[in-house]
Amino acid sequence: MSRSVWKGPFVDGYLLKKSDASRASGRNEVIKTWSRRSTVLPQFVGLTFGVHNGQKFIPVLVTENMVGHKLGEFAPTRTYYGHTADKKSRR
Amino acid sequence: MAEPVTLGVIVGVHGVRGLVRVKSFTEDPDDIVAYGPLKDAAGKSYELEVTGRAKGMLLVRLAGVSDRNAAEALKGTELQIERDRLPEADEDEFYHTDLIGLRADMVAGESLGEVVAVQNFGAGDLLEIRLEGSRKTVLVPFNGEVVPEIDLDAGRLVVDPPAGLLDDETESSSAEGTGDER
Repeated sequence: MSRSVWKGPFVDGYLLKKSDASRASGRNEVIKTWSRRSTVLPQFVGLTFGVHNGQKFIPVLVTENMVGHKLGEFAPTRTYYGHTADKKSRR
Repeated sequence: MAEPVTLGVIVGVHGVRGLVRVKSFTEDPDDIVAYGPLKDAAGKSYELEVTGRAKGMLLVRLAGVSDRNAAEALKGTELQIERDRLPEADEDEFYHTDLIGLRADMVAGESLGEVVAVQNFGAGDLLEIRLEGSRKTVLVPFNGEVVPEIDLDAGRLVVDPPAGLLDDETESSSAEGTGDER
């Protein structure tokens, strides 16, 4: 069953404080968090979180289409090393 | 000469007419035939024709292989091409195979480590860098701000990480157990 709308999205309070402070400072810094359960809010767009995956912090640069997802979705706890062959990445 | 790129591997056979099952490593599995004939490690050339799919693999007919015994003998064969046969990448676009193995240096000049993988967990591409003199790896976003310079000829790239990105190892577990966060 999905979460009731009247409750609003769940975000840990300390994460909200940290993100507000980071935005206010205007510095480009990684906000480290263990709060994988927190929902990505619109005000997080453009911030970089370091989301803990149990071992290390995975950098997650928040973009618009990530709003509504949980931070933990972008920091898998199991890593699969696939083959690369002809895969390309744009910088 | 650059290392050959492995595009797939023959993992089994299918039927009695010489079809083989191929695990494709290309971004689109069917693209394994897009680069022309492929070679094995010994340099023998194979002409491929994809005829279908089975068990998540491609069913491929190899020119000159018409019975099951001949196909079974090829099990485990890696199908490769020379790196220079891959099409030229666009500007600011890089093949993962080119990025892996590059030396990563900090902006100030000190060595950080070596790129061991390119990951994407849904929040953009990340370079996985094995730290110098350690088995530990760190992930850095692959974008123009964090990786301002890539020199494939010199085999190096420059990393300018945002504050806090590389503190992982120094901070270690002390912050984890005692911080307000938890």
